[in-house]
Amino acid sequence: MFLQTLITGFSIGGIYALMAVGYSLVFSILNFSNFAHGTIIMLGAYIGYFLISSFNLSFPLSLIGAVLGAALLSLLNLRLAYNPLINRRSPSLYLMITAMGVSIFLENMVYVTVGSHFYSFPEIFKQSTIKFFGSDISPLDLAALIFSLISIYALHIFLTKTKIGTAIRAASYDMTTASLNGVNMTKLIGIVFLLAGAFAGLAGVFLGVKYMVYPTMGWITNKAYIAAVIGGLGSLPGAVIGGLILGVLETFVSVYISSTIRDVFSFSMVIIFLVIQPAGLLGKYLEEKV
Amino acid sequence: MLNVKDLNVYYGTIHALKDVNIEVDKGEIVTIVGANGAGKSTLMWTLSGVLKPKSGSIIYNGKPHPLTAHDAAAAGIILVPERRRLYANLTVKENLMMGAFLRKDTEGIKQDLEYIYSLFPILKERTNQYAGTLSGGEQQMAAIARGLMSRPKILLLDEPSLGLSPIYTAEVFKTILEIKAQKTTILLAEQNAKKALEIADKAYVLETGRVVLQGSGKDLLANPAVQEAYLGVRHAII
Repeated sequence: MFLQTLITGFSIGGIYALMAVGYSLVFSILNFSNFAHGTIIMLGAYIGYFLISSFNLSFPLSLIGAVLGAALLSLLNLRLAYNPLINRRSPSLYLMITAMGVSIFLENMVYVTVGSHFYSFPEIFKQSTIKFFGSDISPLDLAALIFSLISIYALHIFLTKTKIGTAIRAASYDMTTASLNGVNMTKLIGIVFLLAGAFAGLAGVFLGVKYMVYPTMGWITNKAYIAAVIGGLGSLPGAVIGGLILGVLETFVSVYISSTIRDVFSFSMVIIFLVIQPAGLLGKYLEEKV
Repeated sequence: MLNVKDLNVYYGTIHALKDVNIEVDKGEIVTIVGANGAGKSTLMWTLSGVLKPKSGSIIYNGKPHPLTAHDAAAAGIILVPERRRLYANLTVKENLMMGAFLRKDTEGIKQDLEYIYSLFPILKERTNQYAGTLSGGEQQMAAIARGLMSRPKILLLDEPSLGLSPIYTAEVFKTILEIKAQKTTILLAEQNAKKALEIADKAYVLETGRVVLQGSGKDLLANPAVQEAYLGVRHAII
């Protein structure tokens, strides 16, 4: 039971981490809460669902389709909604409000065009379970966890080992100086949104497979926000650690205490963190010396 | 090489540069001296493409200035900004490599890195340390080194001696001469007027956004008005 709960917790945590990573990427560079991130996750789930159910594509192909589709939508979101504000150097509060508007608009577009049905993914992994030290573990949980960790690790390698990745980290500290080094910030922010969108697509498909696909499913990014706060807003390792901690704790609370108190617990946690440790676990850079 | 004509720049609603004319020739060290708020940094940010001029022209190598920071950097105009602005979350080496962001010549980058480590051995020692952990003087060395990694055609140095100990200040000025010897043109904005004028081929004095004096470094050092305002020399009132 304990091990099973732990693995389930980690797999949910892995999905939270996927969401939080995309969210943190945007936050680290533009310093605003991209509330439209959840909507992109939702759209990614829809793309994945329709590719697999209407176009009869295999699961891996649908996943790739969802990732690419969500990445493009994320870029479109940036170009149409955020770029006019960024070019005018608007305060990040305006970006946040725009993000809320985009989110409401897209959600209602889905209501109008697709409808408010709940869709469930066709069964991808047979419902049989894997025996592991006497616990029953669902292959879906295991796959979600492994896939989340691999993709986040790939992102980590990209950010630390490549030129563009280093530029993203540099710009997250100081955009003006990055442009002095010859970084075209418009292009770089585009790359960041493509990446964030790709991660949103991944998270969307896994969420859809685990639960359901419906227009307001994006609101679960509140959990990604909590994960990012726990780990430290804008910090990628923080987003991963925060996501995993939140997933595991939540699952333990719902298994051992009550599933109704789960969200109360999660939101209490964010309040506690904001009061005691507002920078999160890893969200503090070394200050510049004068 | 760089020709600034009747430049007017606003910083918000403040008229920060008023009809500024400056000329920098290839291979020179040109110094801008002036007090806090005289417009030195505004001039530097404008030349680097971060601030946009309201009117006037900047001609660089016979062509109009590209007016965006990344294009200016690509054209070889490199600013080492005031207060160094290193990426504290990156290691020293990553900071230096950001200087070479636009370069594709792997061999040349490697050579330049070796050259910089020979110029500033302390940076080699600290290569894998986060830049935020460096001392103020080490950070200034790293910031200049990052600028050099871009292989500048003209290097803009904004207050490189700000907040540094006398030892590091001397080191910075020694480095500036070393950079000049490598045939790189330098535009230097400094509050440390004496040292900055001593190494200058040409110098301008900025006061509240206007060029009030110009001449060779030696001339300005000998100018009573400059001596009194910037060099701490008192002249008896006749």
